[in-house]
Amino acid sequence: MSYINTNWWIVPLLMTSFTGVLCPAMGTVLITHKRLLQVNLISHCVLPGLALALALGMDPSIGGVISGLVGAIAAEGLTNKKNQNYEAVMNTILAGSMGFGVLLIPLLGIRIDLEAVLFGDLLTANFSDLLRTLIAFSAFICLLFFGYDKLVHIGLDPEGAASSGVNVSFLNLALGFTTALVIVSSMSAVGIILVIALLSTPTLLGLQKASSLWIAIARSSIFGLVLSLVGFSLAIVLNLPPGPLISVLCVLTLIFLPKNT
Amino acid sequence: MSSLIAENLTYSYSSKIKPALSNVSLELEPGTLTALVGPNGAGKSTLLNLLQGNCKPDQGEITIGGKPLFNNRFQVALMPQRGKLNWNFPITVEGLVSLGRVNHSKSTCCELEAALQRVGISHLAKRRLDALSGGQQQRALLAKTLMNQAKIFLLDEPCSAFDPPAKEDFLLIIRQLADSGLTIFVSSHDWGASLNSYDKVVVLDKIILASGNPQEVQAKLSSINYLRWKL
Repeated sequence: MSYINTNWWIVPLLMTSFTGVLCPAMGTVLITHKRLLQVNLISHCVLPGLALALALGMDPSIGGVISGLVGAIAAEGLTNKKNQNYEAVMNTILAGSMGFGVLLIPLLGIRIDLEAVLFGDLLTANFSDLLRTLIAFSAFICLLFFGYDKLVHIGLDPEGAASSGVNVSFLNLALGFTTALVIVSSMSAVGIILVIALLSTPTLLGLQKASSLWIAIARSSIFGLVLSLVGFSLAIVLNLPPGPLISVLCVLTLIFLPKNT
Repeated sequence: MSSLIAENLTYSYSSKIKPALSNVSLELEPGTLTALVGPNGAGKSTLLNLLQGNCKPDQGEITIGGKPLFNNRFQVALMPQRGKLNWNFPITVEGLVSLGRVNHSKSTCCELEAALQRVGISHLAKRRLDALSGGQQQRALLAKTLMNQAKIFLLDEPCSAFDPPAKEDFLLIIRQLADSGLTIFVSSHDWGASLNSYDKVVVLDKIILASGNPQEVQAKLSSINYLRWKL
């Protein structure tokens, strides 16, 4: 532990590595399930929970996960109940939640470094941030270990999966919960807004000609790890914030994306 | 093997709208190939979903060998319309086919190989799903359905992506499946010569309009001038 304390870069480097592997892995599952829009929703819905948890003296990540998940369930419930366009309902809840979170900060009289929450502050990451990432990592591994076949079936043929006895609602809820955990755990690395870049870009590269979900996950994670480490190193050399730099690198990576035939 | 019998099935999606199906009765005998034809919105997919037990009829009952469908759902397998599947999912043909047994016992390599051979695509086992033609994808989907080890197979518009030669090949495959003792019930928009490949034809337009061998059904529908307006 004393080694970690005297070498400031170890925790940020470990955070970069774990986030760089975890986000693209989660993104691969979400993109193949056509649920990437839900990530945007959850990431915006995290803020009110963070504020409330801080006001109640709780770990902010618990509040963030709960409010992220509540937002996702509310969007799905409202869409089904009112028979309305999911994307429109989702964007309304997304904007409303972000606004509500911003309003809560002065109303509850709490202090939050909003810039760090939204865009990350990797160089100030501490041991509890790393622990959060490890918990999210474990949740994702559990999801794959216990539900890989079912996730593949739902991603490929949701109705067929349901009719052959797969509990689709439960697995979607588990997917939403794990997504919320991943977003909150990535907060200190790339922030809840920029996390979408790490969830999508490496996945686009990893999915190319992958013959199974496992292979796509593994490839995306490798691309994500490389992108994150390059971004982290450049941020130190250029004295720039790592989160935004990693996001910009993700955009540049799109140049190398082969044409989909 | 047992027949599937549906008696007086009525089903509505909402109490405010007309029933999607009214008083539909039919019998599917073992080892037969039956076509279910009708225009768009006739209730073909609804009927297949009822027969598979995905939803319950408002009235009427479905039995297999005299026992309620509810206790015998494992004997019926449904092949969905191609639009219901995510064809860009990263998976190979053998990966897709092995999912046919996902909630039952694990499939063996022999079963997988047998299912692929029955539909004539064992040489494509390692190929990615999105690298196949529409016809090959439909065959892969049929192989997945065959892994269910059911006796009664309901195929929802399986020929929708086919050109005429591919359709003929597919009809040949399902004819062989029926000849091997399986019960095959195929929904289709087809009307004309291709119906002669079936043992029996059922014409549905919310109610059963005609049922019998292809020649009988075509004669009956011609006599009521139905074809001119609907099919």
